[in-house]
Amino acid sequence: MQITKIQLIASVFALLAITGCSSTAQVQVAERQFPTVVSKPKAVSAAIIFDKQFRDYVATPNKNTSIEIGAAQTTMLSNAFKGLFSDIEILSSKDQVSLDNALVITPSVREVQVSTPSDTYLNVYEVWIKYNLDIENSQGDVIDSWFMPAYGKTPDSFMLSKTNAIEEAAVIALRDAGAKLLLDFYRIPSIYNWMLRERQLGAEQ
Amino acid sequence: MNKTIFIFAAITILSGCGATTSIDEYRPNTSVMELNSNESLVILGRRDAGHYDTDREFIRCVANKMQGANIPVMPEQQFIDAIYPWFEPRTAPKGLRRLTRLMQDPDIKSQVDRQGVRYLVWLDGSTQTLEQGGSISCAVGPGVGGCFGYAQWEKSAVYEAIVWDLNDFSEKGRLRVDSAGTSYLIGAVAPIPLLSPVKKDACNSLGKQLKKFFTSEE
Repeated sequence: MQITKIQLIASVFALLAITGCSSTAQVQVAERQFPTVVSKPKAVSAAIIFDKQFRDYVATPNKNTSIEIGAAQTTMLSNAFKGLFSDIEILSSKDQVSLDNALVITPSVREVQVSTPSDTYLNVYEVWIKYNLDIENSQGDVIDSWFMPAYGKTPDSFMLSKTNAIEEAAVIALRDAGAKLLLDFYRIPSIYNWMLRERQLGAEQ
Repeated sequence: MNKTIFIFAAITILSGCGATTSIDEYRPNTSVMELNSNESLVILGRRDAGHYDTDREFIRCVANKMQGANIPVMPEQQFIDAIYPWFEPRTAPKGLRRLTRLMQDPDIKSQVDRQGVRYLVWLDGSTQTLEQGGSISCAVGPGVGGCFGYAQWEKSAVYEAIVWDLNDFSEKGRLRVDSAGTSYLIGAVAPIPLLSPVKKDACNSLGKQLKKFFTSEE
């Protein structure tokens, strides 16, 4: 009887240990964690298209990991775009654009990569999110297709479950995407040239 | 007699687990840094290195040591969120020139002023395991189990603190703490850990020394 009890306890321990070592992770990034940006928007109009695929995006960086970042990335990038443009509309498709002389920006996710301590032998979890921003004018002419990578890593992996660690790294990567957007958007040469042209046209009229 | 030998052995083993800590300080002068009642300081971790991040637990530990002396310390994340995205790993100013340029933006300056932050304390460093040795193995069988063997590892904590004054965008002081020690795990049926408090010592020393920057108490 005593041996059966010990075997039962040993089995439960073994099961817990094996589950603890499980390498699958389904991560849902909560959207509440993003602050508003401190930035004075420029006098530029823009329509931001977050299509259904972007809003509901679930990344699968490898067969064992899935990260639901759709809602969080929509909130994060909406915040960041509001810090760039004084006149902005956030839409779900291009045919809803009502602004004249505006930039029409459609963000999409090219790729999401994850690395864990078992991959790199570093004591951190890392997440890369590679965005693409298709930028057009309101007439539908292509201005640019801008590649925007973002990166996040956990401070360390000690006492963190794989799911929590990847979520933390993904949140840092999303914050990095917002920072990169605010820092670099107006440095894109084609955007700078478009603004110059718009200013000249405005002065001529 | 046996009791005396046991106590002597315990003291010898435990003293072996202590950490050796040294602290270097640089300040242009030893006068106490001015901090009005409506002003606070924030302790921020450097997170731009590739292979480590200054961990939040260490920053909280140093902040707690400061708060013990009634120095108002704003939580790191609260400041970073309030000023987003200008203190993210990608955008945080690494030098005073960049900080001065950042503060020339009236929106950023007014947001920092609204937070009442006078000093930024940048912490940069990490705690690392350097050398490991020995071996310990544990086994469990029906009705019996235990660990046998011996393992040891050496840890080193190196942190640097730099204090910036947001009133005149100047550096007010620097501190560097080095702490090292060896931890042991002895397997004598039950595993007995004898851990060297390297990180805790580094935090205590840094917090205590940093406190002296802002208070006249010894």
